[in-house]
Amino acid sequence: MNKNGIELSFAWIFAIIVGAAIIVLAVYATTNLIKTERKVQETEVGKQFGILLSPIETSLEAAKVARITFPDETRLINRCRTTGNFGAQDIGISTRSRVGDEWQEGAVLSTFYNKYLFSSATTQGKEFNVFVKPFNMPFKSADVIFVWSSEYCFVNPPEEIEEELEALRPKNINITSSVAECTPSSKKVCFTSSGCDVDVSINSKSVKKGKQTVYYEDSLIYGAIFADPDIYECQVKRLMKRTSELSLLYLSKSESLTPRGCASGLEVELALYANQTNAINNSIDFREITSLAKNMREKNDLLLCKLF
Amino acid sequence: MTFCYVNYSKGQMKIQQMAFVLVAIIIFFAMVSLFYFSIRVADIQKGAVSLKEDEAKELVRKLSSTPEFSWTATDCASCIDLDKTILLKNRNTYSGFWNLDYLAIEKVYPAGQGECTRLSYPNCNTITILNKTSTYGSPAWAYVALCRHEIAKSAYVKCELGRIYAGGKGIQ
Repeated sequence: MNKNGIELSFAWIFAIIVGAAIIVLAVYATTNLIKTERKVQETEVGKQFGILLSPIETSLEAAKVARITFPDETRLINRCRTTGNFGAQDIGISTRSRVGDEWQEGAVLSTFYNKYLFSSATTQGKEFNVFVKPFNMPFKSADVIFVWSSEYCFVNPPEEIEEELEALRPKNINITSSVAECTPSSKKVCFTSSGCDVDVSINSKSVKKGKQTVYYEDSLIYGAIFADPDIYECQVKRLMKRTSELSLLYLSKSESLTPRGCASGLEVELALYANQTNAINNSIDFREITSLAKNMREKNDLLLCKLF
Repeated sequence: MTFCYVNYSKGQMKIQQMAFVLVAIIIFFAMVSLFYFSIRVADIQKGAVSLKEDEAKELVRKLSSTPEFSWTATDCASCIDLDKTILLKNRNTYSGFWNLDYLAIEKVYPAGQGECTRLSYPNCNTITILNKTSTYGSPAWAYVALCRHEIAKSAYVKCELGRIYAGGKGIQ
């Protein structure tokens, strides 16, 4: 009988099987390790991004502009939650990789309770433009942060906005007098006409994006332009929660100053304002509180011991 | 007396050898993994603590301008309103708001004495707003102007020199 074949000893068979198993396990472990390391790195960068936003906040300034640059294409993930006393701002970063998945999901989002980021749910780019303005209604409630990376074209903005943008010169915002002058890739923002990507109505203080319309007050006009409508509404609710807490704080301040001979007479308005701002569900409800806010501001300006 | 002879075949010996090699390989990889993960976890924890400290450092520079602390925006947006700050002390709603473990304001000049309460205010030294843990490390601090309304013959604003401390070390 002719036995043509390779004779393998037990040792060889064992070495091949165990060797193959070790190599498969090693490849699997390395791939997972790379993914985990990437997740850790992205989580750290997300937290650092949030921390970087602190020095940009305003104190005496009416507005501030900054630019945050990444070494490679990056996605900024903006999530907003309204749960809790102040809601929460979740910030995540996803970096592009040339190994494995181009964009990896699942980095741990960093939570901030004192930040209000107005942007798209996902903003992609290498360079992020940051524009910060205080939100006053009637007192300063917070600094609102607008972030964008793509190009915007503001068509016929009001004089106030034009002057502000020309003074600060934020990148990727061009001001033109007609839509035809805008670059084709830019997002068109119309202030006096309609039919653009974003239509702003100064009279009704509203911004229309696609089929959704949101309403603004004070510096939130920029938020309504740059943010996704869902994120905008969520941040408005968070801002109003903080405004409500601040109203209660000012109410306590007013009550503590009264026995010291410095009455403000604003207690009733502040209590009402705290309730109304806490109950706000949509930006359209701004209309219900603007007159009260204006009234409080006027009264406060006349006080000897100003509350805010 | 009985002698027992156990005869192992060559094949059985090989199988035993392979089993030992397999166990040794598993133990080796387990030890390497444990070593790697213990170092990596320590590194991540260190990174998280460092990030929290960085956050506290950046925040302490800007806290005096936040609406909860700031004096009227038109007069002095960077001054701290002590009348407001003393009221923040017992507000639980703000306990996690700044992601800090320690937050306090101290009068530097003229120095007062003791922790401020609503009864002892303004004749006191320190307002501790947050103190979640005793291991917040060395808090970051910044000089600030502490202003309050004083009423003598008429109302006036009195500002003193103070320091604001912020620390964050605990990992959450």
